[in-house]
Amino acid sequence: IYDRAITVFSPDGHLFQVEYAQEAVKKGSTAVGIRGTDIVVLGVEKKSVAKLQEERTVRKICTLDDHVCMAFAGLTADARIVINRARVECQSHRLTVEDPVTVEYITRHIATLKQRYTQSNGRRPFGISALIVGFDCDGTPRLYQTDPSGTYHAWKANAIGRSAKTVREFLEKNYTDEAIATDNESIKLAIKALLEVVQSGGKNIELAVIRRNQPLKLLESKEIETLVTEIEKEKEDEAEKKKQKKST
Amino acid sequence: MATFFGEVLSVYSRAVEEDDDDLDDENEDERIHREIEEKREVHIVWCPEVAQSLEDSGSNTLQCSDLIIAVGTNAAGFLSAYVLNTESWDAVGHVSLWNERSRGSSRQSIAPLPGEPACLFYRHRDNPAVLVCQSTCYIAEDQLFQWTEKVFGCLQKRGLSVMVLSDSPVAEYKTPDYLYGSAVPFLRSLKSSASKGQALCPALEQPNILTGLPAAVLSHCQVHQIPAVLYQCYTDVISPDSITMETYKPALLCLSKLVKLEPCLSADVLRKFAIITEAQSNLYT
Repeated sequence: IYDRAITVFSPDGHLFQVEYAQEAVKKGSTAVGIRGTDIVVLGVEKKSVAKLQEERTVRKICTLDDHVCMAFAGLTADARIVINRARVECQSHRLTVEDPVTVEYITRHIATLKQRYTQSNGRRPFGISALIVGFDCDGTPRLYQTDPSGTYHAWKANAIGRSAKTVREFLEKNYTDEAIATDNESIKLAIKALLEVVQSGGKNIELAVIRRNQPLKLLESKEIETLVTEIEKEKEDEAEKKKQKKST
Repeated sequence: MATFFGEVLSVYSRAVEEDDDDLDDENEDERIHREIEEKREVHIVWCPEVAQSLEDSGSNTLQCSDLIIAVGTNAAGFLSAYVLNTESWDAVGHVSLWNERSRGSSRQSIAPLPGEPACLFYRHRDNPAVLVCQSTCYIAEDQLFQWTEKVFGCLQKRGLSVMVLSDSPVAEYKTPDYLYGSAVPFLRSLKSSASKGQALCPALEQPNILTGLPAAVLSHCQVHQIPAVLYQCYTDVISPDSITMETYKPALLCLSKLVKLEPCLSADVLRKFAIITEAQSNLYT
């Protein structure tokens, strides 16, 4: 009986396969999601690509529908399957109900799918966590996070993947109403959060935004570099001000 | 004759003179044993200057005040990046041995190619009493004793102090608490009783043990009362990885007293020593 299901409870109540799946998530590069006032931002650490590999095929940020997109961290192949199922569900929902999915609905669908794989015979859990962002029909911005166990929660800002803990701590300190007051500020907050953990700065960051009633937009590397320069200048100015304060 | 356990024993008959056949068999067995022993022998190949210094010293030993041994790809990568990267080290020798997993010995006198698993010795130009050994090849259990005897046999025991850096998979770390991902990689230390100073990280808790070359070196130092300290890094990555290499940084404090070190390391240099297959591994995104 015990060899039918891969996820069996341990005597102290742990589902070790699910917990190990969460370790697999930590092997993926960092992804951060920020819910702003009129914008949602997804930022990811770009993985270095082999010389002969086409960079376009290594994407951590994917659209699920015109108004919803997600970033994942963990096993690439598992992510592809989850994304495909989610995309089909988005269209199926539109056909049957004649309305686009709400961000919560599609998150719940993905989370239910993941949970099913923690309770079935012979299947292992999906080794990915996802950050799902988008706008509902009523214009509310949403950010959800799912993990291999199939739980999902709404967040104001969150991070998944390799150095998620560091990024989350940064966000806890720096996610303020001023920080998300404008679209630009929200984007800069995402970049600042990633710069805490990404090596060699802006060139390894990929950023995507959704604005209300607009499709997903991937920022170009030039735009990201400009923002990174802005952020660095702001940091220098801050440091200068502190120095002057100390001397007076 | 069959025994209870199913083995078949040959019975010697006193009636027939079988001595001649037996002798040949025994000789053949002995010959095979000797061949295997020779094949598995551990040889240290020193460069001409060091070989000359060994000869010139009456006891066939080198004067050595500090021996730093790195066992494993991350420990070796750490030394390459932080210590051997300054131009003041000379490669002075290597150990050549053969076992099922390290088939190097077919080219005994030729130095191993860079990047191959090997056991290399480096000496500091300005302070020739400081030796570094990077061991990335597998040394079988039956060869460990020979390795330590031969290597330490070339070094003067007086004033010698040893530091060992060694990698280990965190899956082999036994602890009653659940280890959350953020704690890994981490360092644990072990010292020989002759070692006086403070170790820079917590001691290795029971029931964890050391095996392989680090254990052989530390045992040798304990028996011969050589002060030795070992830093074992538990990591969850299989390949050389820059984060794991950085975990050895506390050891730099001891090393900087001996030799001039690279003061600040750019991430690019570290990445050079971390395995490049990171890019080719598309398993995780």
